Amino acid sequence: MQHDIHLFGLNHRTAGVEVRECFSLKDLEACEACVSELGRYVDEVMLLSTCNRVELLVVAPRGSNVSSRVLECWASASGRQAQELAPHIYEHRDLAAVEHMYLVASGLDSMVLGEPQILGQLKQAYKASVEKGQAKVVVNRLLHKAFSVAKRVRTETGIGASAVSISYAAVELAKRILGDMADKKAMLVGAGEMAELAATHLVGAGVRSLCVVNRTLARAEELASRFKGTAYSFTDLTTRLPEVDIVITSTGSPEPIIRARDVKDVLKKRKYRPMFFIDIAVPRDIDPDINSLDNIYLYDIDDLKEVVEENKAQRQMEAEKAREIVQAETDKFGQWLDSLDLQPTIVDLLSRGEELAHKELKKTLKRLGPDCADEVREAVEVLALKLSRKLYHAPLVFLKRRSREESSERFLDLARRMFNLDEDIVPPEAHLDRKNGEED
Amino acid sequence: MDWSELLFYSVLVLYLIGSGGHICGILTRKERPRLVGGVVSGAGFALHGLSLALQLVHEPTVARGGFYLSLFSWSVLLILFILWARLRMSFLGLIATPLALVLLLASQAATSAPLAPLPLPPALPGLFFGLHIGTLFASLGLMAMACAAGIGYLKLERRIKSKEKLTGAWAALPSLDKLDSANRLAVTIGFPLYTLGLVSGFLWAGLTWKRYFSWDPKEVVAVLIWLLFAYLFHQRVALGWRGRKTAWLAIWVFGLSLASMFLINFFVKTHHSFT
Repeated sequence: MQHDIHLFGLNHRTAGVEVRECFSLKDLEACEACVSELGRYVDEVMLLSTCNRVELLVVAPRGSNVSSRVLECWASASGRQAQELAPHIYEHRDLAAVEHMYLVASGLDSMVLGEPQILGQLKQAYKASVEKGQAKVVVNRLLHKAFSVAKRVRTETGIGASAVSISYAAVELAKRILGDMADKKAMLVGAGEMAELAATHLVGAGVRSLCVVNRTLARAEELASRFKGTAYSFTDLTTRLPEVDIVITSTGSPEPIIRARDVKDVLKKRKYRPMFFIDIAVPRDIDPDINSLDNIYLYDIDDLKEVVEENKAQRQMEAEKAREIVQAETDKFGQWLDSLDLQPTIVDLLSRGEELAHKELKKTLKRLGPDCADEVREAVEVLALKLSRKLYHAPLVFLKRRSREESSERFLDLARRMFNLDEDIVPPEAHLDRKNGEED
Repeated sequence: MDWSELLFYSVLVLYLIGSGGHICGILTRKERPRLVGGVVSGAGFALHGLSLALQLVHEPTVARGGFYLSLFSWSVLLILFILWARLRMSFLGLIATPLALVLLLASQAATSAPLAPLPLPPALPGLFFGLHIGTLFASLGLMAMACAAGIGYLKLERRIKSKEKLTGAWAALPSLDKLDSANRLAVTIGFPLYTLGLVSGFLWAGLTWKRYFSWDPKEVVAVLIWLLFAYLFHQRVALGWRGRKTAWLAIWVFGLSLASMFLINFFVKTHHSFT
């Protein structure tokens, strides 16, 4: 291995929000200054910056000490001193860096375990690095692998299967009860912060329309306009109820505002079409008895909290499985790194050739039948093996010559991919986006 | 072993693999076994249809009890595939393929018993006879699905109402709304078919035996089931009933039909006897 892989970072665990703000490198110029400054001393750079973390992936020639330089660049791009940054930084080397990248990509290092947004942010970071020409052999492979690890984690474990926020859990439940959201109407009673959050999720899930009922009409109108809904005054509550399928209440009313007997009438008017009530107010806004009515479902804040707690515990368990996947994939990456050298590549190429020769030889000898003379068999065998060696001769000479140059791993990587020595499974559409990207 | 037996066993094996794959897929929440189960069941279904057609060609005027059960199990799967295409409820395969399997096995048991064959009637009455069998089996196939969806609905509904966890196999169930729409489809199509089946049966009886209704136990039970079915149809279509009550009614209609098919046709003296 001719490289050191370094990963420097700070995240929500190592640094408070003020520190993260300060060193976020969010400002485009600062970020570019930092990356291009580093690009002069190292081979490959990639920078990921989100509100919860900054990760700086650096590939440098073996044995070069880049730590202090990275910190200085980072600090100066943020207009600070390196000493201020140092205590909040973690540094991972080589396979530890690879593992950390995988963990980040699969959301295992995130504040909300298993959240998927980080993957999109990482893809953008990688794209930026490619566009600046700062991603080469190692970063390319590492990031592609990180994306596929994240995908594996998502499909093979249930880490993202269940909701871990109250408003999202409520929407998930609504889907289990009412099915397709596209023809469903929702009503918010009360216009607090929680109601707003739930409304965001409902709109995200694709409800057809949303209306807001509030004691002060102005506040209702304000919230309704934000979600392209309609606002009604509080006196309209019962007349509007039969039209809606999902009701979310969060008023400060000291006594219930929706009673079982109102709901019975409502249900008859809507021909028993099911309704889902979500009561996130304390004290409760909805008479708990309505849950016993047919086709009426009521969840209050405690019920939802319980769902969320169970789901969180579930995610912890799934994260264990995910870590095993990450571990196994990290080992694989280590093997690839070791093979990215002249000697192992020669060995792999020759043995691949011999393997193919033997495979074809077996078939041919079988076809020649048992009556074939021994001299013929031997001749065929010699032919097959010689041919395989001769075919790889020219590529080997080329690789040997190039290995004396500086960026030899580019050719080694190319040869390995060309002859598929790592037996990667590349889907046929793998490079479609790259082609499209060039056309833009 | 002659061709029909060979065909029968291959159908049996395909259904067994199909239902096994399907159940595995649902329990492990993986797409592939579910897909494989569906494809294998589909192959079994095609082969099964072929074997039924061959049997009819082979002995056109003679049909035994086993033939009807086999035909019924085939119609259950036919309905499953239609519903699958319409509602995308693959979980119905959880009940449909095993049900078809059991029916097919029962049909084999019925065929292997030393029974006198029943001659099929000719010409015009034959039309009514075909209509009678076809519509009733299609309607029962629909009700089998409604029954399965109904059981799913009741279980899921209880879990949601009692606020229990909805993970694992529960997450694989479709939403309550979808389960209910399976019921709606089965009832609105199944009831007219059932009615048509009964009417054509009476017409056939009138043409063949000069008596429309002969107080045969099967006929009495069928009329009772029809009344229950009519009640379900009316409440569902006219009053807009949905959910628990319709789920329960569908389970009753199918349960009674199944009981009447197995208990009365095999054990009670009736001219519907498979023997």
